Amino acid sequence: MMDLYSEIIVDYAKLKKYKKRMDDADTVREGVNLSCGDEIKLYVKVRDGKMESLSFEGKGCIVSQASTNLMIERVLGEPLENIHEILENVKRMVKGEEYDKNLLKNVSIMENIRSYPNRVKCFMLAWRTLEDALKELDRG
Amino acid sequence: MNSKALYRDFPILDRKIHGKKLIYLDNAATTLKPKVVVESLKDLYYFHYSNVHRGIHTLASEATNLLEDTRRKIANFLNASPEEIIFTSGSTLSLNTIAHSLVKSGILREDSKVLVTTVEHHANFVPWQRLSKIYNYKLLYARPTGRMGTILIEDFEKFIKEEPDVVAVTGASNVTGQRLLIKRIREMFEKSILVVDGAQLVPHTKVNVKELDLDFLVFSGHKMLGPTGIGILYGKKELLEKMEPFLYGGEMIDKVTLEDTTFNILPYKFEAGTPNLAGAVGLAKAIEYLENIGMNELENHIKELTDYAINELMNLDFVELYGPLDETQYGIISFNLDGVHPHDVAHFLDESFGIAIRTGHHCAQPLMLELSSKSRLDFPNATCRASFYVYNTKEDVDALVEGLKNVKRWLG
Repeated sequence: MMDLYSEIIVDYAKLKKYKKRMDDADTVREGVNLSCGDEIKLYVKVRDGKMESLSFEGKGCIVSQASTNLMIERVLGEPLENIHEILENVKRMVKGEEYDKNLLKNVSIMENIRSYPNRVKCFMLAWRTLEDALKELDRG
Repeated sequence: MNSKALYRDFPILDRKIHGKKLIYLDNAATTLKPKVVVESLKDLYYFHYSNVHRGIHTLASEATNLLEDTRRKIANFLNASPEEIIFTSGSTLSLNTIAHSLVKSGILREDSKVLVTTVEHHANFVPWQRLSKIYNYKLLYARPTGRMGTILIEDFEKFIKEEPDVVAVTGASNVTGQRLLIKRIREMFEKSILVVDGAQLVPHTKVNVKELDLDFLVFSGHKMLGPTGIGILYGKKELLEKMEPFLYGGEMIDKVTLEDTTFNILPYKFEAGTPNLAGAVGLAKAIEYLENIGMNELENHIKELTDYAINELMNLDFVELYGPLDETQYGIISFNLDGVHPHDVAHFLDESFGIAIRTGHHCAQPLMLELSSKSRLDFPNATCRASFYVYNTKEDVDALVEGLKNVKRWLG
């Protein structure tokens, strides 16, 4: 039916696995999508330069929830430099530019977000929040 | 009223959206434009265009006459006099003009009190709030204690003893569609300056500013079939005369010397710069179109559609409805689906059924907070909003209801 609401994307949106508090996170970062009121709280834990744990709390539309779960699934266990590379490719993907599909793996099932400029903010909420969290950790 | 017969006046209604016939239910955001309005702009720019008030040549006087004819037409529409009708870019500039002029004139000062409600659009909330921080007047909030964001007369009564200097209220909420009892509010606050945000009221009913004894009324042209970028500020003459202009510049002056400036007469004192002539001409044409239909006919048609839609939506057990749901609700219905985010609802309705609704906080975040505290859902700080105008039909409501059932089945 519709690209953005395929069964697999709806299933990702409803995934509960990563939706939880983390008490021993290195940083907790909040993100807000001002245009619709979606809020997300991202719990980040990094060990030895790798993303050891990542979880979130918050509510939002299917696009933002699916995107958050896809992101967590993709970046867990990855070295931080790879995550920066993934982030850059995600930005290219939403802009409709060429990107590395193999690197993004399952995240690319939402590639069609590029056709819906009104929904890009929903899609990017988690990614921007992660980017902010990493910058914060970087600054120490 | 035969809404279907009006279809041919609105070419955009022939458009297909994702292969489906467009069903436009976002009228509280802006209405579609009939051919006569668009053609009036074309006619102006092709044959009569010039700047107003300045020149001596033929085109300049034609343009000036067109603007002043429009002013008279709008004055008649509201039962005001032409010098009380000020052209602005829309309700937002009108409200900012009122608030800023009141403080600049010292009518609002440190010990003053302004009463607003928490159901206001940000345009009638933020200016009063921000200026209260700068000029230190006291801001009072009437909160809605009725059903799901409905504001009751009692919610105002408790502020009578405060004797607010200004009462700034919406004529009709852009979220719940509730029409406020302006007549009662006027009686309660006899001595206050009463500012009414008519953005969602004037498009739906004839407002008589003298009968209601309003001090200020504002509205936007584009929400009543007119072009974007034109709005009206009605102000009582004796108040406008006492007030310092908000914007300074050309046209609004009388005499300028190095030492000081004196101002033009009303209404020009409040119209700095070249006015939006085309917008004004288009708005006059829109009002003419609405008056040909008949404002009473229009009002009844929209009320009938609203009641029909409320009844149909109440049958859906997965829908939570906001607002009063009674005789005071006009033209606007806000709701949420249990378990589906408003953005997903709107996206799905558009893509699968060609239905345009609005979602989000509707520039009314304080009201979203009120709704959040009363909702039985995991409230998403946003609602879906369907709003009707002259060309909508019961079939449009039926399509919405069917669409929502599908959304729930697919995403819920």
